[in-house]
Amino acid sequence: MASQNLDPAAAAASSTAALKGSESGGSAARGSVSKRLQQELMTLMMSGDKGISAFPESDNLFKWIGTIDGAQGTVYDGLRYRLSLEFPAGYPYQAPHVKFVTPCFHPNVDEQGFICLDILKDKWSALYDVRSILLSIQSLLGEPNNESPLNTAAAKLWDDQEGEKLLMPSRTSPLHVYVQDQLVFFIF
Amino acid sequence: MEEIVMESDSADVSAAAPQLGVGAAWDTVTTALMSPGCSVPEQSLSDSLVLLCGRGLGRLLGGWLLETLQMRLSSSVVPEFWSGLKQPENELEERGRAWVLLTAFRTLLSRLEPFLGGLETLGTWQQEGRSSLCGPGPRGLQELAFTIIRALLLFSPAPVLQERVLEFYSRTFSVYMNQQGEAEDGAEAPDGPEGGACRGCGVPTQQCWCQEALEQLQELSRILSKLQLLEWVSSEAVTSILHRLIEQRMEQHCRGEYERSFLLEFQEWLELVLGWLSKVFASEADGESPVPAPSAPSTPGVPSTPGVPSMQGNQPASSVLKQWRCHMHQFFCRIYVNMRIEELFSIIRDFPESKAAIEDLKFCLERTNQRQQLLTSLKSAFESRLLHPGVHTSDILTVYISAIKALRELDPSMVILQVACQPIRKYLRTREDTVRQIVAGLTGDAEGCTDLASELSRGDPVTLEMQDSDEEGNDPEDWTPDPTDAVPDKMGSKRRSSDIISLLVSIYGSKDIFIDEYRAVLADRLLHQLNYNTAREIRNVELLKLRFGESHMHYCEVMLKDMADSRRINSNIREEESRLSEEEQPPLSLSSIILSSEFWPPLKEEKLELPPLVCQAMEAYTHRYEKLKAMRTLSWKPHLGSVTLDVELEDRTLSNLTVSPIHAAIILHFQEKSSWTLEELSVKLGAPKELVHRKLALWQQHGVLREEAGGRYYVVETGSSKEKLERGVMLIDSDEERDSNTTTQSEQREEKLQLFWAYIQAMLTNLDSMALDRIHSMLRMFVATGPVVTEMDVNELEAFLQRKVREHQLTVSAGVYRLPKSN
Repeated sequence: MASQNLDPAAAAASSTAALKGSESGGSAARGSVSKRLQQELMTLMMSGDKGISAFPESDNLFKWIGTIDGAQGTVYDGLRYRLSLEFPAGYPYQAPHVKFVTPCFHPNVDEQGFICLDILKDKWSALYDVRSILLSIQSLLGEPNNESPLNTAAAKLWDDQEGEKLLMPSRTSPLHVYVQDQLVFFIF
Repeated sequence: MEEIVMESDSADVSAAAPQLGVGAAWDTVTTALMSPGCSVPEQSLSDSLVLLCGRGLGRLLGGWLLETLQMRLSSSVVPEFWSGLKQPENELEERGRAWVLLTAFRTLLSRLEPFLGGLETLGTWQQEGRSSLCGPGPRGLQELAFTIIRALLLFSPAPVLQERVLEFYSRTFSVYMNQQGEAEDGAEAPDGPEGGACRGCGVPTQQCWCQEALEQLQELSRILSKLQLLEWVSSEAVTSILHRLIEQRMEQHCRGEYERSFLLEFQEWLELVLGWLSKVFASEADGESPVPAPSAPSTPGVPSTPGVPSMQGNQPASSVLKQWRCHMHQFFCRIYVNMRIEELFSIIRDFPESKAAIEDLKFCLERTNQRQQLLTSLKSAFESRLLHPGVHTSDILTVYISAIKALRELDPSMVILQVACQPIRKYLRTREDTVRQIVAGLTGDAEGCTDLASELSRGDPVTLEMQDSDEEGNDPEDWTPDPTDAVPDKMGSKRRSSDIISLLVSIYGSKDIFIDEYRAVLADRLLHQLNYNTAREIRNVELLKLRFGESHMHYCEVMLKDMADSRRINSNIREEESRLSEEEQPPLSLSSIILSSEFWPPLKEEKLELPPLVCQAMEAYTHRYEKLKAMRTLSWKPHLGSVTLDVELEDRTLSNLTVSPIHAAIILHFQEKSSWTLEELSVKLGAPKELVHRKLALWQQHGVLREEAGGRYYVVETGSSKEKLERGVMLIDSDEERDSNTTTQSEQREEKLQLFWAYIQAMLTNLDSMALDRIHSMLRMFVATGPVVTEMDVNELEAFLQRKVREHQLTVSAGVYRLPKSN
């Protein structure tokens, strides 16, 4: 684990209350987390990146909704995905929980929308922020990691796709693709 | 009546024999009472009295007298009085009318005197207990009589009496004042336009009846006081005269005159007026008090015992006068306050000069209850005279500053200041250049208002710490409650500041906005003068530090330090260059100002590619700098700066021209080639064509370049002086070079709106659709950058969103905003 992932406050707390972890950092820490999240929101707004966006869902700064447009030149081009981002109280020392809300047919995304992405798991670092997460997911859409698929059918399809571009969703007519017993509509 | 009958009955019963004797005795006594002139032998009078009293008839005497008086009054005296007064209607001149008035009263007195005399005598008898007579005494009897007189006489007073009295008193007043030497006062001639007229009575001098008028006054006063009608007949007239005169005098003397105090002057004048009043109410003062009343000896000068109730009517003159003096002061204060309230705006405008007026007003305002009136009037004066688009912001500020100064004199509790100036503050918030004007004032740049600069450098400044300091060592004993018209707010009286600078700064509720603006102004000044001379700015920054606190001025300090550092580095590099050999000398001498980009306000970005010659010099400079400061380099802002150059043409030389870098770059290009098209230049300079075109104008103006068909520019090598003159006349838009190097306030605002827009877009992207309120509250919650959010109220936001809707960047339906479907 990278050293920057150690929350100094939580570390101090955990020495006394061993198992409670960062949750015991409690409300005092929450203020600084809010500040950080606000800052991240600001950075995201200022960056003006195309195709990614996120905003707090309501007045709760710890729950955001994100939007990712599929990158140009990939099969996801022209598709827009909603995500939900939940930040734990130990953020940024703990990774946020990110999942797709819009169903996403992708080797690394399962049926519930959970994402298999290393930086959201063991490679998480406090140096990452919402923007880098969203950018990573956006690029994951175009370049899946087929070594550890969550959706094997999609992974298989992806490998075939290299040869036959046919499966690329056409922009003109709705295309139905049967994959095992799962029916996926691509509608434009 | 019934009583009398009863009494006579009983008399009949007790003694029938001396019936005749009783009749004669009654006659004797009543004659003695009614006509004191005719001599009734003392002996027979006493006998008759004894007889009457013996019969128990003595008690009837008082009743009979009053009854007779009443009958006589209603049947003859009152009608006679009124007809006497009205009779010569319109026919006489003033003097005659005065005479009629007096005569009417004289007749009245002569008609009533017998009764009064009789009552008095009877009263005296009663007092003395003569023949065991008893009764209320002379006072009581007379009191009854006077009540009857008043009731019958003034039951339905005709306006003519009031008119006449008023006229008469006015006349005597002017006569009196004239005689009292008031005449030397040149302005006091309201009714003397006719030449050769007596200033007192207003008729040609030979017919002057001043003396007569005064005598008449005296007589009238005497009659009235005798009849105890003085208060009823005169008060109203006197009041209105006083009112009118004070007003008139004030109009003449005080209106528009704010630099003198009038209190003392009026005090003296009022004392004079009091002299006249003492004549009007002279009554008992010179009149021997005809009633030898032991109960209340009203000798002149000795005030009556306080126990005597005032309903007795004939108080001694001195106490009446005392009352009138109070009245007059009240009149004066009220009239004065009324006038000054009307003029308050002008007074405030002229403040330091109008201090006297403010002090007078303060004195009078404390005595009248007109604060509310003052506030309302002042507010509306501000609104109608100051707060409209035609007034320059700096003028509004100047008036506001004067108002602060004036009103804090007027009302140390600052409530008036706070309430009355609320509209100004609100209005100033809507002006875009307010902050800039205030900052300019603070730094002494503004032309008009030097007040702020001097206020800034004033000793013992109030720090603008908004945190409250509860225990600030104020003596709790000194605490005074707020006036009732104070605006209830959370601030409380303690924080109601009177400090000009804090008041101005608090217009926006935040000092950051001022510090930002000051930073921009400072940057502008430093970058414009380009001579590293910062003495004045250092002083300003230090003064502002005292006000705003060290931490807020940190950026400015760094900016100033940058200037000092630049100078040092520059001289270092120069020194190094001078040690080089002849051929290595740089082709042009370059000095730089090195800014720490984090600390300076954003500079205008403009693209400009300088000629290679300059670039080389810059590179060389950068190298030297890098040697001097390891690990650092310079990034040049080629468009900012100034260039001094000489232009040598075939037949003339323009020397020591100071121009901007882009001008210099343009003319340097003409060194290689004597004709360029606009496009070529634009490409060479990397600047837009419009800009280049605008900048070329300067050289055209100097007669160095000329434009020919096809958009080509040529060097004018041999310019005839005539042509130059022509050029000079036809000023091609002399492009104002003093425009700011830093981004302006409106640009900053635009940037802020841009930031908002980013948030709004993100919001709507992720949350689909939102109502205005929700957007607003989201912005409030999540945009956490300084004072920006607080400034954006719902209406403003709505306007902004509407604009975006018009630009098709938003759609709105049923009050819900969403982003248009992107296609």
